This record gives sequence, C-alpha cells and structure tokens, in this order.
Amino acid sequence: MQIDDIPSSTARDLASRIVTPGTAITSDPAYMRGHGTFGENDTIYSSVAGAVERINKLVSVRPLKQRYSGEIGDIVVGRITEVGSKRWRVDVNSRQDGVLLLSSINLPGGIQRRKLESDELQMRTFFAEGDLVFAEVQSFFADGGLSLHTRSIQYGKLRNGQLVTVFPQLVPRSRSHFHTLPCGVDIVVGVNGYIWVSKHVPAAKVEANSELIYSDRNEHISDSERETIARIANCIHLLNRLYVKITDTSIIFAYEASLPHAVKDLLTKEVATDLAHTVKARLLQQS
Amino acid sequence: MASLILSPAEQDYIIRGVESGFRADGRSSLDRREVTLRTGMISQANGSARCRIGNLGVGTDVLVGIKAEVNAWTPGDGVPESSGVLICNVECSPSAAQEFEGRGAEELNVELTQLLDRIFNGPQSGIDFEKLCIIPKQAYWVLHVDALVLDVRGGITDALVWATRAALLSTRLPRVVVESIPDDNGVMQAEFDVVDDPDDLTELDGVENMPIAVTFSRIGRRFVVDASEQEEAVAQARMTVAVSPKMDICAVQKGGVLRGFMPTLFSEVLQTAQTIAREEFSRFEKCYAEAKSQALSQIDEPSTGSTFLVPF
Repeated sequence: MQIDDIPSSTARDLASRIVTPGTAITSDPAYMRGHGTFGENDTIYSSVAGAVERINKLVSVRPLKQRYSGEIGDIVVGRITEVGSKRWRVDVNSRQDGVLLLSSINLPGGIQRRKLESDELQMRTFFAEGDLVFAEVQSFFADGGLSLHTRSIQYGKLRNGQLVTVFPQLVPRSRSHFHTLPCGVDIVVGVNGYIWVSKHVPAAKVEANSELIYSDRNEHISDSERETIARIANCIHLLNRLYVKITDTSIIFAYEASLPHAVKDLLTKEVATDLAHTVKARLLQQS
Repeated sequence: MASLILSPAEQDYIIRGVESGFRADGRSSLDRREVTLRTGMISQANGSARCRIGNLGVGTDVLVGIKAEVNAWTPGDGVPESSGVLICNVECSPSAAQEFEGRGAEELNVELTQLLDRIFNGPQSGIDFEKLCIIPKQAYWVLHVDALVLDVRGGITDALVWATRAALLSTRLPRVVVESIPDDNGVMQAEFDVVDDPDDLTELDGVENMPIAVTFSRIGRRFVVDASEQEEAVAQARMTVAVSPKMDICAVQKGGVLRGFMPTLFSEVLQTAQTIAREEFSRFEKCYAEAKSQALSQIDEPSTGSTFLVPF
C-alpha cells in the first residue's frame, strides 16, 4: 500500500500530534504499531507522552522525555559506579549501566602495551568509583548494554570543572562533541545528556604528559575562570529548561545574551524569562 | 543528603570554589536560591503549604499539611494539664530520590522529624500552646504536622521549616464553645462544642513569633548556606540554626557530621545565622503574602512542573 492510499484526512491528523499515555491514535487497520504504542481491540494507543510520528504505514510516538539509548560511535560522559574484575560499570544515563573493559582503555606509559595482571590489581588507580570519564561507545552487548572505550588521547578522566545534566534528547549527534568555546572554556557535550564544563587546557599539555590522563588533581583555576565556567553551566541549565537543542552554537548564543547579567542572577525568574526570549528569538532568526 | 558520589576532581573544584567564595552556580557563600511558596493546597487539612527551594522550577520540594484533632486528656500520657500538643512527622517520598526506596529514608525521616520537633514543639516556637487547651484536664487540640519531601536538590531542612511555618500560619481551627452544665448531682461540669461552621474559624495564637531556620554546610575550611546537592555531597557537617523574629536563637541541630565545625567557625555561624535570618524573614513575608493572594484567586490552577514559567 502506498502512502497515497491512506485517506489524507487521517494522515494529516496523525502528523505532529502530541499525545499522552492511553490516547487512541488511530483505529485505521492500515497502520502498523511502532515504538511507544500498543494495540488493543484493533486500535493503536500511545504508551508514552510525546509526538506522533508516521513513516508510511508505521505509526510511532517519540517520547518527550526518555533515557539515553546509545549508538555505536556516540561520545558520552559517564560516571564510574563500580569497579569489577577487568571492567568498570559506568552510569551513562541509560536504562542500564555501560561497561568499560580494562582492555578498552589506554594505559599510561606507551599507547600500545600488553595488559598485565598487575594492571588488573591497580584498576582503581585508573578509574575509581565516582570518577567521570569521557568515552566513546564501542559496541553493544547481547542484552543491549553499552561497551565503551577510551582509546584516544582526548578521552579519559575529566577534571578542572563541573558536570551539568540535561535531557539526552536535547543533544544532537554531531561531528564534534568536544568544543573549546571562545570564552576559554572547554565543553564535552555527551550525547547521553551529561555535559562537562571545564577550564581550557591545551591538548598538547596532556599529550606531552600521559600521566595526566588519569590525574585527579585540578589545575589552578582563577576566580574569573570559575565565573566563566559557572556562567556557561547556568546557560546550559537554562537551555535545558527551555527545551532547546544544546549545541556549541546555542550555548554561545545563551552565553552572549547572558553577559549583561551577574552569574548568580541567571537562573532567577526575571532574568531567566528575559534571557529565554532573547535566546529563542536568536535561534529562530538563525534557522 | 542524597547519596551522590563525586569524583575527587569535582570535590576539589567545589571545595576550592567555596573557599574562594565563588560557588559552582555563581552564588557567593551566603546567597540563597529562589523560593516558591503556596498555601492552602490541601483542602481537607486545617492548614497546608508547599515550598520549593531552587531555580527554574527544579529544586527541593516539600509539602506540609496540618490536621487538628480534639483529644481527651488522660493522666499519665505526658500531656501538660492545660496545653495542647504538636506532633511532627516527616516522610521522604521514594519519588524524590532512589535511595529513599524501602527503608532507605528511615534515618533521615527521624532526623528531620526531630528537627521540626526541636524548632516548633515548645515555648521556643512562640506558639501559644495554652490556647490549644480546650478544658484543662479534659480536652485539648492536637496539631499533626505531616511533611512530605517530594524532591531533593539539597537543603531539605530550610524548605521543611519554610513550609511548616507557612502551613502553621495558614492554619485555621474551628471555634470551640465551652459551657458549664450542671450534672445529676448539681455539680457544674465544663462541656465543649466544636462549632461546625466553615466560616467561623480562628487562627493559631503566637504563630507570628515562629522562628525561621538557616542551614549551614561546612565545606573545606569555610561554610555555605542553602547548599546544592553537589555541595552537600562534599560537606563535612551541617548545622541548622533556628532564629526567632526577635533574633533569638531558638534551636540548633547538626547532622551529616563527618568532621564537625571548628569552635571559631561555630560562633561565626551563629552570628551569620542572625543576619541571614533577618533577610529571610522579610523574604518569607513577601512570599507568604504572595502565596496568600494566589490561594484566593487561583484555587483551581492546574499543577504543572514542566516549565519554570509556571511556579508549580
């Protein structure tokens, strides 16, 4: 059956409708149930709150809020929750914890080196519980769990800054998830909704000293650097509450719009409402 | 209070930030987050309030209901002959944080109940408990203060005290008529009657003298007020100081103690509590007045928490 065969009135009805759980979407037998729906008595109902999407005959509902579902190659920021034998469990804001295998990390001192038994005994010196890691999704396990790797010089432990959590669906997949903003702040925008905002450290510095990959020590951060980091973090919080896509461009827009206000006032009702309008107008103008 | 594990680098970032007087969200040590207050949200209760501390519509959220009940006085149950009582109960909802599931919140519930009791139950609270006695040695009012913590984003104690204060301020008791009736032997017996008229209600006496609480968290060598969730995760001790409108310190409770407050810091905390309390009282008055006018005009306002433009 072609898309044209479906009466145009129902096709129009289905497009971009917002539904809540239990809303009847259609009782037309021509449609097939997709994600976020269930069928009962030949009627398709929504099982989540979100927007109805239709691809030919397939009707699915894209939820407004959802947990992160990974894809191979995604850049994520995760938090170590458990150290196991030859592996770390990593909270990646997903339905289940991801796994970082000892064999998927770069060991200090020589990029290519055999993993020894002694490495297994000192896994906590690489990553301990609570540590934040910057990693990439390597593959899936049979149960859908994510396997991560940090086999690149830019990946590894995060330091010199703070974490901001946003809705994962607001972070689009893009070519680069590591940005150095013009205001001198590094951001790692994890596709899983964890965003790391930190002081800019030149990549050459880490490359020169491979011990730094697993360092817990922060560099000296001056008050003005702290202020910029806090401003960026507050801007990301605001974008998240506005339900605006979070990219380096939207963060810079929000940052520039926020400059006339003090950092601590950014999230108060009056300033936030004011900023919200400015940022939304600028984003509309751009698109 | 929620068990959040931070990496050593994050902890160091927060501690050094606090020590240099610049916090992770841009506040200085003594800045507090925004407060949203609503009263009269529970129609069945004699008084109720909901308080949220946090910006952009996310934050620690506490709902308090006050239910008044007439109790018969029995000797030996510990209730004074001519006064009423206040019974506090705090419950942390498992929807607030994962670790509150099952028995996870038990200890925290006890700690917070203890805190409310310490602040509001007794002469230090300013409430005139003698007015809550209906007939000495016969009947008295029991005020059940039931608090429900709906969301935790740091600083439960302050939200709890704000909500309880607002709930007690908005509490209205039915009027009670006491009359003397001679019994069979001609001895005069006092009897009472609760007037069943929804418009004939009285306020509690002395509620305007109730204290307000300021909670300090020690981080590194300094302290902050209104700690965020992340800051509480690195705090070495927490101290709640309740201050009355006359700037008297009414109650102090500490918690989450890993290392405690140094004596020098302690006296500084008590002094700072009084200055902050002065600002907090005017902020409370403003929020409460706003809440009261809202309660009258928008009773059927639907509650949505999805945008920060809508208060609840």
